Amino acid sequence: MGTDAEKFRICLVASAGGHASQLLELDESWKGKDAFSITTSRALRQKLSEYGRVYVVGECNREHPLRVLRVVLQCARIIFRERPYVVISTGAAVGCIACYLGKLFGAKVVWIDSVTNVERISLSGRLVRPIAGLLLVQWPELTEKYGHVEYAGAVV
Amino acid sequence: MIFLTVGTQFPFDRLVRAVDDIVEEGLITETVFGQVGQGGCRPRNFESVACLDKEAFDQFVRQASRMIGHAGMGTITVALNNHKPLLVLPRLKKYHEVVNDHQVAIARRLSELGHVLAVHDVEDLRDGVRRLETFVPKERKAAPHAVAERIQRFLDGLQD
Repeated sequence: MGTDAEKFRICLVASAGGHASQLLELDESWKGKDAFSITTSRALRQKLSEYGRVYVVGECNREHPLRVLRVVLQCARIIFRERPYVVISTGAAVGCIACYLGKLFGAKVVWIDSVTNVERISLSGRLVRPIAGLLLVQWPELTEKYGHVEYAGAVV
Repeated sequence: MIFLTVGTQFPFDRLVRAVDDIVEEGLITETVFGQVGQGGCRPRNFESVACLDKEAFDQFVRQASRMIGHAGMGTITVALNNHKPLLVLPRLKKYHEVVNDHQVAIARRLSELGHVLAVHDVEDLRDGVRRLETFVPKERKAAPHAVAERIQRFLDGLQD
């Protein structure tokens, strides 16, 4: 492989809107590291390009299985090419997909569940929990409800 | 100027129509500008676009005296960061406006904490608009640095 930085390449994933804005609040955690991002809207391309290559995939959720399949294929191509060492995601469905694909290729998974999940972790977050190396929630009471999750503060 | 935003992903016609009616009734005298989402209905009584890019969006937020929106976290965050009073109407699953009712939960929690105003029914929007005139949002103390630091610690642990 290439340089040390490339060996520790980070994949940032967030769907457009609130998930992406929460991810962007955390940019100091990957500063100076080799990174690329996956999102669902071209409108975010410019902002995310500050952190490396940007891939825009389709919008998807659990109600549209065919779209999910398409996004799985899109993400698989990206992850296969980039081989990230870590996947960091704030959600939603696209984050879940990228975390599983990353894991398949040996990546570690960091999941930050959205602040909107007040009473329980999101479906995507619950799915990712078994494979996450670090799962952060944004409301302290959620750590009492779920094992292997941490609260380090609210992102927003 | 009151900035109405329903995000960029999906339309939220229930809110846009309700605000349009309120403007028509003359309850809102200030200029309203709306970002109404791809494929959304266009209001007759104020200017709107389907989708703004981030730069233009931020500019509208800065210029706005108040905001009305869905209870999406992107919208809420930008309002809080810019100290703009925000009235939200959560999208509901039963109207196929969203895949689950997470907006209801976050709107309820953040309005209890005094950060936003929330109404849960379009019928209450007029009352919400009246309350928005004097509403002063409580500042929210988030800790993005602490969260980023925790992630950084995890990443550093992997490299050792």
